[in-house]
Amino acid sequence: MEKFELLQPKGLREAVLALAEGDADRSTMVLAGGQDLLTEMKEHLAEPSLVVDISGLPQLAGIGEVKDGSIRLGANATIAQIAGHPRLRADLPILTEAADSIASPQIRSVATLGGNLNQRPRCWYYRNEEAFCLKKGGSVCYAAEGMNKYNAILGGGPSYIVHPSDMAPALIALDARVQLVGPDGDREVALADYYTLPSDGPMTSETVRANGEIVVDVIVPPQPQGLRSTYLKFKERESYDWALASVALAVVMDGGVVRHARMSLGGVAPKPWTVDVQGVLAGRPVNDETVAKVADLALDGAKALAHNGYKIPLTRGLIARAFQQLS
Amino acid sequence: MSSDPKSADPATISFTVQESSWTPRKEMTVLDRDIPRIDGPDKVTGRARYSHDMRLPNMVYARLVLAKTPRATVDEIDIAAAQQIEGVVHVGIQKNAGDELAYLGDDSVVAYVAAETPEAAKDAARAVRFMLSPKAPVVTREQSLDPEAPQITRRGNVRAGRGPRGADETEALLEKSAHQVRATYTLPIQHHVCLETHGCVVDFDAAAGEATVYASTQMVSGNAGMFAGLLGLDASKVRIVCQHMGGGFGSKFGPDLQGAIACTIAKATGRPVHLMLDRPQEFQMAGNRSGTHAEVALGCDADGKLTAAAGTIDKLGGVGNGSFPGFPYIYECPSAAQTRSVHTALDSNRAMRAPGHPQASFVMESAVDELAYAVGIGPLEMRMRNAPDDVWKRHLRVVAKEIGWAEHPHKTAPGTPGADGWTEGIGFGLATWRAGGSGGGRCDITIERDGSVISSCGVQDLGTGSRTYVAAIPAEELGLTIEDVTARIGDSALPPGVGSGGSVTTGSIAPVIKQAAHNARVEFEKRLSEITEVAPGGYVWENGSIRTEDGSFDVPFRDACSLLGNKAITASAGFDESNHLTAGGRLHGAQAARVRVDTVTGRVVVVDMVAIQDTGLPLNRLAVRSQINGGMIQALSYGLLEERIVDPELGLLLTDNLESYKIAGSREIGAIRSIIDDEDDRWSVTGMAEATSIPGHSAIANAIFNACGARLRSVPFTPDRVLDALAERA
Repeated sequence: MEKFELLQPKGLREAVLALAEGDADRSTMVLAGGQDLLTEMKEHLAEPSLVVDISGLPQLAGIGEVKDGSIRLGANATIAQIAGHPRLRADLPILTEAADSIASPQIRSVATLGGNLNQRPRCWYYRNEEAFCLKKGGSVCYAAEGMNKYNAILGGGPSYIVHPSDMAPALIALDARVQLVGPDGDREVALADYYTLPSDGPMTSETVRANGEIVVDVIVPPQPQGLRSTYLKFKERESYDWALASVALAVVMDGGVVRHARMSLGGVAPKPWTVDVQGVLAGRPVNDETVAKVADLALDGAKALAHNGYKIPLTRGLIARAFQQLS
Repeated sequence: MSSDPKSADPATISFTVQESSWTPRKEMTVLDRDIPRIDGPDKVTGRARYSHDMRLPNMVYARLVLAKTPRATVDEIDIAAAQQIEGVVHVGIQKNAGDELAYLGDDSVVAYVAAETPEAAKDAARAVRFMLSPKAPVVTREQSLDPEAPQITRRGNVRAGRGPRGADETEALLEKSAHQVRATYTLPIQHHVCLETHGCVVDFDAAAGEATVYASTQMVSGNAGMFAGLLGLDASKVRIVCQHMGGGFGSKFGPDLQGAIACTIAKATGRPVHLMLDRPQEFQMAGNRSGTHAEVALGCDADGKLTAAAGTIDKLGGVGNGSFPGFPYIYECPSAAQTRSVHTALDSNRAMRAPGHPQASFVMESAVDELAYAVGIGPLEMRMRNAPDDVWKRHLRVVAKEIGWAEHPHKTAPGTPGADGWTEGIGFGLATWRAGGSGGGRCDITIERDGSVISSCGVQDLGTGSRTYVAAIPAEELGLTIEDVTARIGDSALPPGVGSGGSVTTGSIAPVIKQAAHNARVEFEKRLSEITEVAPGGYVWENGSIRTEDGSFDVPFRDACSLLGNKAITASAGFDESNHLTAGGRLHGAQAARVRVDTVTGRVVVVDMVAIQDTGLPLNRLAVRSQINGGMIQALSYGLLEERIVDPELGLLLTDNLESYKIAGSREIGAIRSIIDDEDDRWSVTGMAEATSIPGHSAIANAIFNACGARLRSVPFTPDRVLDALAERA
């Protein structure tokens, strides 16, 4: 990797100011667990001149309940801490199932929530230094016409990456919000709105996070009574892999009909693909017909590339499975 | 077997040595048991030192610079910036401006660097600037067969192998067949994925005119001559050391280009050179198992008896040649199959565990399986009717029983998924290999006056357990325990071993160790006879003691050794082609797989795999089962996941790391059961591991069909392919 300066700030403010000093070409970067940034640096996909190590900042640590009954997940909470949290496991299995599905025990023990939400794409053209693709400032998405088995069926174009985060769809199904601190102050963004599509704007980022901003924590608001949730991730290699497709689903049933439903899909689009299923489900029972409607809605506009057509039936199947599991 | 009088030291063997034979099973105390590998603790604690781990005083770290374009002309190469990097010791150019890059592989090496630290070497490698004019990649079969395609090798793009003979007659037989299958089966290029990448550490002392090379190699003894040539030395001046190595699977026989470059740097710098490939380089230039594209036809009569085989089988091994997959395979019938190499601009295939066989197995076992369901007799009965000998039939019966075939509900038609979308199936496949060994190996046994026993042979241990039997065989012969014997291996200064290829190591080396230990024992008895007046042959060695049969002498082994006077026992033996210690003939084997298929997602879960393997005398039952397990796991990984993917337009190797080149992990492995065929009555030794890696993926494909009716004609059976095959069926 290229030489860089490492800053270990004493406080959040120092970190934010240091990051904000970076140029527009993002030559300052945030380091937490390092599971994505260090690999990007070793492969020369990221070459920051200043690395701001936020792993020691106390404001970013921990998992806990806040006054209004919300749950606060610190950006530096590790994936293993989330997976092993008894309260989450009991009340919000969608989060612990998502955490359990990520990478390997070794990676989960150091990878952080903030890093998971902000990680860069895994597309093998993007990850190959030799391919100067759209995501790296080039002019071509090689996956569009190339070996695109793992790429997007929804929301693609001009880039066809899929967002690799598992925590993001799970948190979106719980209406979670991210809290950011930046040089211009604090702000809160619904996680569903945190991610962008390639057609929305700058290709070199997947989120609305501005230069100098740091994700401090994620707030999961109080959930409706009787909520049941699951994260169903399908990997090509069960031992250790990214999602070919995943379904994050949270529902509340009331007397045989759906009162509340939230769904977000992973592995199929350049951002967590959030589907407003409340309309087709509210007041209706979960049966083959309504689940098919949900799948139709979720896959509305799905477009297969040369090698990823299988993702359409796969995603339909996973959606049905997720509903079976919860109803 | 008798010792070779010309090569044995006349001072130590001064009498005719009788050929020994393996101790009968009932009398064995060390062999034919589970023996934990003696270097296990070293490996799990990190004490074992691999070539990668060598750190010599004053050593430089070398690194190759690879282009990523299969075919190109080098327009410009500039090493000035690399030379300026702090800590850089040497930069060399491998491809000058105007040179051609002919294929993605070792021909991609454009330059190399050496530096004081690995980091400086990496920086310097990146600082080498080169400009290429890329040409059409020609990395797929279709690109190579295009009439407009550029010529990939001097021999052209297609080289014929065997056949076709009697195509018309065979076609007539096929036409007359009650059933026939005509299908295309494909297998991708697979990689060896050695945990330890290829490379070596060269310690060249120019002043002394000698060198020691720490090489990750499957052929310690043979490498001395090869490195000698590269260093301009006599083979006698080069010592090869490989105490432990992290996998070879057929890909690590020679120094390769990286070894040659390490020698060049050693000569240029006068310093020890550490040059190991990194993982992407390993995927690009360290060899592979060839891919296959087979368009074949197979016929059978109304009873399922095979009648004729035909077709064209293309081997896709880049610019290389080597073993073709045969058709038919194991099962016999008249054949007019044509094999040919279709060359692409990719690195040459190398031997990889039973070269050609796993590919041949998939094509044949799939076609046989398709016929089995067409005839309506089911996959087991079809194989019983066509297995060429009774051992295979017996093996099939064993694995069928173990996998639960008798109780299986749908034997002649695929199953149907339950309400949850899952369904279960069973499939079969046969294995084969040749038993035996090859010549060239020698072993020395030394028995010291203090009771130390040293068993020495330059053979390498690929992780298979050869070090363990180098100690265990003398222990058995001398009535000792394995802890009483020190094994010395992995060093060309020792008596020569053999190259570990074709599963010949055990059949070549074990008899030599056995004979050397026997010779030592006879020599020992000869010495004792001067004291006891009991002639050699009249002694019993057991439980750590030596006694005469008449009971007049009975002393612990160590005490007996102290009677040796000032002269230790040394004995030696070489390989005799006519020995009776090495098994001959054919190896068989059968495997069965039970899978669960999720028809919703295309997931294939291998819940159970069973193999039976004839092994001759199993020296170490634990090691043999471990080898059978390994063969099944390697085939499972091949069947479910492994595939080299190259972008056909860019020529970019996309699977050059262990994230995108997927190998099976612990959650892909279900029950794995290895059965040693104890009815094999050859009380003689052979290797057999390659046989075990041949049919596993075939059995899995057949089990998938039995489960759900989806015929997977392309390896690997990833969810997308399973879903596609299910859709095709529907």
